Amino acid sequence: MRVEIKKDAGRVGTCPHRLKKVVSMQKNNRTDHLKIMIFMSVIIITLSPLLAPGSEKPDALLSVPPHALIVATGSINPEGFDPTQGWGRYGNPLFQSTLLRRDEHMAIVPDLAETYTLSSDGLCWHIRIRKDALFTDGTKVTARDVAFTCNQAAKSAGKTDMSLLDTAVATSDHDLSIYLKHAASTFIFKLTTLGIVPEHAYGEDYARNPMGSGPYRLVKWDEGQQLIVEANPLYYGNKPMITRIVFMEMNEQTAFAAAKAGRVHLVRVPQALAIQKIKGMKRHIAKSVDNRGLCFPVLPSGQKNTSTGLMVGNSVTADLSIRKAINYVVDRQALVAGILEGFGSPCQAPATGLPWDEEGARIQDGDLNTARKILKQDGWQDEDQDGVLSKNGLKAMFTIYYPADDSIRQALAIAVSDRIREIGIQADVIGKSWDDIYKLMHANVVLFGFGSLDPLEIYRLYRSSSTTDDVYNAGCYQNPVVDQYLDQALYATSEKEAISFWKKAQWDGQTGFTAKGDAAWCWLVNLDHTYFADERLVMGELPIEPHENGMNITATILSWKWIDDQTTSR
Amino acid sequence: MKTVIVTYKTILRNKRLTTILSIILCILVFAGLSIAGFTISEKGLRTDLEERNLSPDACHIFGTDWLGRDMLTRIVKGLNLSLKIGLIAAGISTMIAVMLGLCSALFGGMVDFVIIWMIDLFMSLPHLVFLVLISFAAGGGAKGVVIGVAVTHWPALARVIRAEVLQLMNTEYIQIASKLGQSNTGIMTHHLLPHIVPQFLVGMILLFPHAILHEAGLSFIGMGLSPHTPAIGIILSESMRHLSTGYWWLAVIPGACLLFMVKLFDILGENIRDWVNPKILRG
Repeated sequence: MRVEIKKDAGRVGTCPHRLKKVVSMQKNNRTDHLKIMIFMSVIIITLSPLLAPGSEKPDALLSVPPHALIVATGSINPEGFDPTQGWGRYGNPLFQSTLLRRDEHMAIVPDLAETYTLSSDGLCWHIRIRKDALFTDGTKVTARDVAFTCNQAAKSAGKTDMSLLDTAVATSDHDLSIYLKHAASTFIFKLTTLGIVPEHAYGEDYARNPMGSGPYRLVKWDEGQQLIVEANPLYYGNKPMITRIVFMEMNEQTAFAAAKAGRVHLVRVPQALAIQKIKGMKRHIAKSVDNRGLCFPVLPSGQKNTSTGLMVGNSVTADLSIRKAINYVVDRQALVAGILEGFGSPCQAPATGLPWDEEGARIQDGDLNTARKILKQDGWQDEDQDGVLSKNGLKAMFTIYYPADDSIRQALAIAVSDRIREIGIQADVIGKSWDDIYKLMHANVVLFGFGSLDPLEIYRLYRSSSTTDDVYNAGCYQNPVVDQYLDQALYATSEKEAISFWKKAQWDGQTGFTAKGDAAWCWLVNLDHTYFADERLVMGELPIEPHENGMNITATILSWKWIDDQTTSR
Repeated sequence: MKTVIVTYKTILRNKRLTTILSIILCILVFAGLSIAGFTISEKGLRTDLEERNLSPDACHIFGTDWLGRDMLTRIVKGLNLSLKIGLIAAGISTMIAVMLGLCSALFGGMVDFVIIWMIDLFMSLPHLVFLVLISFAAGGGAKGVVIGVAVTHWPALARVIRAEVLQLMNTEYIQIASKLGQSNTGIMTHHLLPHIVPQFLVGMILLFPHAILHEAGLSFIGMGLSPHTPAIGIILSESMRHLSTGYWWLAVIPGACLLFMVKLFDILGENIRDWVNPKILRG
């Protein structure tokens, strides 16, 4: 600094004392200015999110009535749009039509099928399809296309599980028979989700260029960015009133910001953000069976899966009293209020809210005393006074894993861990990627989420034969009585009969997989899916949604409309 | 009898004294922080869903987060974790720098060429990208972050030390020692190391802010640590979600604390440098 001043002064000339001082003052001022500017800009940058004006709508983007409905979604099925590979397995494949569908009251009604009958032994479905259905290239949808789709799905062994199918045969242009390996009460739900593909246009690149007879057709898909669809003019049903939809792939944060800026019409937001208000948008809440729960390994530790080499079992959670106590002590209502901000409901079994849910299996939760009693009766004691129970030298300690990028599961895992510490069970909580969790899930507690409108999910979650290496029964639960009920439910020929067995598997008065019986899981909450939609968009009542998949919301899209449509048509 | 009256002004005017005072002050703050980290009750980390999203008040002076955890506890724990990771990473980094710097200057030739080439290589790569790559390759987690920060921060210091040693090697007393038959290692331990120690110390302390900021950066983008660990980067990235809701204290306070700690290290480093290098003080 001093050297510089001298240099400056030298340049000025003969360097009178006063001038030197002025120069140095200027110098100081300059640095001060710089400092102040830096300081101010730091403050402005820090506070900018708070100062940002709420939501100014760029009206040019949203002309009235809007040209296209802009929807912010999570990532769209990266495998593409091939129904035989898993597209639309939660229902409503958009580009393709299904044989049956659910109406707004969740009842199953014919769609592409005109009539359908099931043989008395439950092994053969006879289906007659409607004659006016066309693919988007103008060719007729025939029974051969349907048979091809079923056989293709069974062959490809993708995420569309058609393992029940023996074969499907077209008997005429409009009739076909579907033969099953064994009677299956759940097969009808398959028929509501499997989209029919055209045999003549099916090939390697079908998933990228889907063609079907559904209400919409694909215009453009920039993977990872946007999907543009428009109404299919050849669709046989009522024409959708929303003629063009743009799905933007965004993460939750960006989507929420976009909604606030008025750049999207419809957005799904995390429950924690749903308490906010967005100008010009209305909050819609869809009930769902999208559940979250802890899966307990029920085998003692120290075993190895022979085919995968993964560790199996956990001696602490193999103890029934530990699993029961956790089920009793968790306060599900508090989790809903605290973590989901009230957008959810307590859940004790995987199908809470569906017809096959056994309400007699409920327990009174949030109950510290009962939980303590259960543990005490079984011999769990705090021998060394460290706050953690032990029995025969085994400490009540285990680890809960959750997927690291999911904030709701993280919160649930932490909250449960803190809660059960009060009864002397220590659960460490670790966030990992799914790839890591799949390797750890047979020997550790994992915070999973499921939720399907098809009861086959219950079968896969609790049937002992599925213990090899799949995600569903990760805890390797097995109970011969429950197995028997599940088989009976699956092989039942009427839905009513099936439902009674699904219920018995949960709790039959003596045993079952719910907290009253084996407490194989500790189910926690059912999420509500929370959306913000443009005020001018009329969506009607939203149906019960399955596990989150980005496209849930489009289930009722055929009945949506813009308010302006109404006024102009009058 | 002499009475020494030390007024405020004379302290300020005495550069040496202010240097030592600020060093002591900084060290006190860090000691206090570590002690607080060890003694603070784990209770604040527990969730309390009744008390979530409270703005700062008498009970929770830094407020509570979305799960009702006390932010003061989380921030103190987070800063401590940063301190720990920073200490290990900066320590390793400095060791690498000293060793490579010494080797480069002493052995010269091919060794020098290779080391200089490595320094250039490391310095030419974008820092954060390099960090992410290395900590990912090292398997993530706290270990990944430490390794990532440690193996990317040495080049600048290695170059300084190389230059310092080269300059020393040309001084007369070392040339005489060499002519008298002292071995390279003898010269290294007896004559060079004492000169390098201050560089080592100052270099390490000045590496600290970098290490801490990069640790925060890595945990901010979700590399490594479990996302509920109280680490300052994680706390900051979590707060992003809640900024639009108006929970300002979740972002502003931990951010300010991080800034404060980094600045403190910077001050400490500068002052120690002045202290061990009296030329600057006199100048």
